[in-house]
Amino acid sequence: MTQSEQLHTVPAVFLKTATAFSERTAMRQKRLGVWHDITWKEYESQSRFISRALVARGFKKGDTVAILGDNCPEWVLIDLATQRIGGISAGIYATNSAEQVKYVVTHSDARFLFVENEEQLDKWLQIQDQTPKIEAVFFWDKKGLRDFNHPKILSLDKLWEEGRSQSDLDAAITKMEQSVSPDDIAILVYTSGTTGDPKGAMLTHRNVTWIAQTICDMDPKLGISENEEVMSFLPLCHIFERLFSVFIHITKGYTVNFIENLDTIADNMREISPTVGYAVPRIWEKYYSTIYIKMSEATFFKKWLYKMALDWSSAVAEKKIYGKEVTGLQNLKYAISKRLVFDKLRERLGMERMRIAYSGAAPISPKILTFFHAIGLNLVEGYGQTEGSGVASGARSESFKPGTVGLPIPGSEVKLATDGEILVKSPAVFKGYYKNEEATRETIQDGWLLSGDIGEIDEDGFLKIIDRKKDIIITAGGKNIAPQYIENKLKFSPYINDAIVIGDQRKFISAIIVLDEENTIKYAQDNKIPFSTYADLTVSKEIQTLISNEVNKVNKELARVESVREFRILPKKLYEEDGEVTPTMKVKRKFVNEAYKNLIEEMYA
Amino acid sequence: MNSTLESVLTVKNIETYYGLIYALRGVSMEVRKGAITTILGNNGAGKTTILNTIIGLLDDQPDKGEIYLMGEAIHRMETERIVRMGLGYVPEGREVFDELTVFENLQMGAFIRRDSKEIHLDIEKMYASFPVLKERSKQLAGTLSGGEQQMLAIARALMNRPKVLMLDEPSLGLSPLLVTEIFSIIKKIRDDDGISILLVEQNANKALEIADFGYVLENGRFVSSGTSEELRSNEDVREFYLGIKEDASAKGFQRYKRKKRWR
Repeated sequence: MTQSEQLHTVPAVFLKTATAFSERTAMRQKRLGVWHDITWKEYESQSRFISRALVARGFKKGDTVAILGDNCPEWVLIDLATQRIGGISAGIYATNSAEQVKYVVTHSDARFLFVENEEQLDKWLQIQDQTPKIEAVFFWDKKGLRDFNHPKILSLDKLWEEGRSQSDLDAAITKMEQSVSPDDIAILVYTSGTTGDPKGAMLTHRNVTWIAQTICDMDPKLGISENEEVMSFLPLCHIFERLFSVFIHITKGYTVNFIENLDTIADNMREISPTVGYAVPRIWEKYYSTIYIKMSEATFFKKWLYKMALDWSSAVAEKKIYGKEVTGLQNLKYAISKRLVFDKLRERLGMERMRIAYSGAAPISPKILTFFHAIGLNLVEGYGQTEGSGVASGARSESFKPGTVGLPIPGSEVKLATDGEILVKSPAVFKGYYKNEEATRETIQDGWLLSGDIGEIDEDGFLKIIDRKKDIIITAGGKNIAPQYIENKLKFSPYINDAIVIGDQRKFISAIIVLDEENTIKYAQDNKIPFSTYADLTVSKEIQTLISNEVNKVNKELARVESVREFRILPKKLYEEDGEVTPTMKVKRKFVNEAYKNLIEEMYA
Repeated sequence: MNSTLESVLTVKNIETYYGLIYALRGVSMEVRKGAITTILGNNGAGKTTILNTIIGLLDDQPDKGEIYLMGEAIHRMETERIVRMGLGYVPEGREVFDELTVFENLQMGAFIRRDSKEIHLDIEKMYASFPVLKERSKQLAGTLSGGEQQMLAIARALMNRPKVLMLDEPSLGLSPLLVTEIFSIIKKIRDDDGISILLVEQNANKALEIADFGYVLENGRFVSSGTSEELRSNEDVREFYLGIKEDASAKGFQRYKRKKRWR
């Protein structure tokens, strides 16, 4: 289907796919050890029952529903039930505090709130007096709430019952579905907001349907089809997950699998073996360091085999990536390593069927990408922002250059402002921030979306991201340095989970390091370094030396002005609940700089 | 942790397998001279495994790591030798000999000693410390109440004149009144006899009341450690081990738990 024949509203796309794939599996979730299927027909009817019940309660086009919970089929059913009748769906991160929930619920003017369980419901109960616009709250996990009575609170099952019997409302619902126009708002995506209050990005039906179709079309060789299996575990309110679990899903009709919980990802991956993968860099880094450590403790023979195979295939992967010729012997060695080592490795990871894997939402180290190519996984990087419906450019299976984020997506224009800021124009550029015209004016100028990122475009048109405009460090000596570049090199170390590079208006560059818990503990055990808790490790001399060596390794690859002269290891891990990382595990630089001010000053004292 | 006191029992990087189960995933700790050190943790965290590993009850364990009793390596040593070196153990569930009298149980406790005269003096000493045992000296241990059995188990362990005493869940199954009594006995053993103590407990409130230092064990690894005061003021210890909830649910009840962060 070409863009011109494309359907431009969520209900139109959804109904077409649901009708076409009726009995096929749309979603799957593991509950109490058993995978349960939901067909497209059920997806359609169950979301329609919710739509009916909402309409019966006076829900009108343009009204807002807020959803608070972890990924599961219910989340998606409610999301669709809202959007198909012209409602606006606003997701709230399950990790948000009651105060943050209050902000989104109030700011989005939500009439109805859907919550996952008792824990999420408690957040609303704390703020119920301050959110009078909420008419009713529905919860889907009844554990602990069976006997709980509250005039505004009802279980989703009860709402379904209400909706199931009201088939007389279907005519009205069909009318509402047809009256949705491409420029109506489909979803509000609240940015995690590193400074000030979060902003609600308005994405229209045209935005989300266009981007979904474009992502499917931009890599014809890959050919995303209804036969894909994907695994949903990034937060659904984030546009990255929403694209694959909702918008591309309803465009193509494949199967979305919901994990049991975050601890079972590895098992669930092996059971499902997804054909398309997507995750944030932190997760790819974790896979890499787990493999690295597993291999370092393997038997001598295995270690030797792995090392040789990795050397052979890295050489080939690099040549292929950069379009250089591969000799027959190299190809043979590559084939042998694949058969002997990497096919089994990918099988263990549940990635043996994965035709393509995307990394996005934050920059990833080119070394990590090359590593995955060497083990036979086609991991590529995409780039975008919520305000551009998630994707502005991306690598294709045929054109991939690590260190760049590929070519702009078809149908879009990407250019650089005089200061190097990346500007984007496409049908995926958002309508603006909800109830925040000032911020909207600062972000969209003359139809161009100001990304806030500094970039470069190479001779082949590939886009390279330097860093966030506001994060660029200007040292006391007047040198411009991109912290991201250095941080990614540091994070390549299996012992470093996160790094925050500092140096703005300072004499030299320094870094705050967060240890990779599992791998550093393993190192401590192997080297008989006594410690009782994680906090002890962070202050142990041997670990300081270990990290110092890792930092020195990185410094060799850096220019003199960029080299990290001092570092401190944080005494704790970073937690979303403590406001240190976003729900997609990006470090909130401002917050960390503020919270660990003393540690930073110490380095410059 | 206070490092001015000498460590009498030092555990370094131990890893223990229970069959195929990786039960202790790198545990290091110290029991300071004359101090009461406690290990807190839920069922299955690996608390008993630590004690069993130290006392040498698990064949071929620890898989990795070292254990020192007053400076001497004791890892992978036979239990009997470890006991002779001055380590006492009061196992969970007391394990007194039901068919033997209280007196005989105490005699059994001194099985490694040959100084029968001294043994008798020690038994008298135990009777003085635990008058109820004297009253019941001819009674079969199996007929004692739970609290009395616990006292007998402690007294029996003391018969070996240990330098370090390890106790596993001494409060298990006892009435609140008896729990208080047992804990004051443990404190007294430390205060009067200068015996260093390693106490494993689920009753975190009671344990932290008498302990000087503590470790929190989860899934075979320590997640927190510090003085009793430090642990008592730790947000996670308060909520998950002491049952103190800072902001309770508006519903008045709550079944879920907040995510632990251990900072």
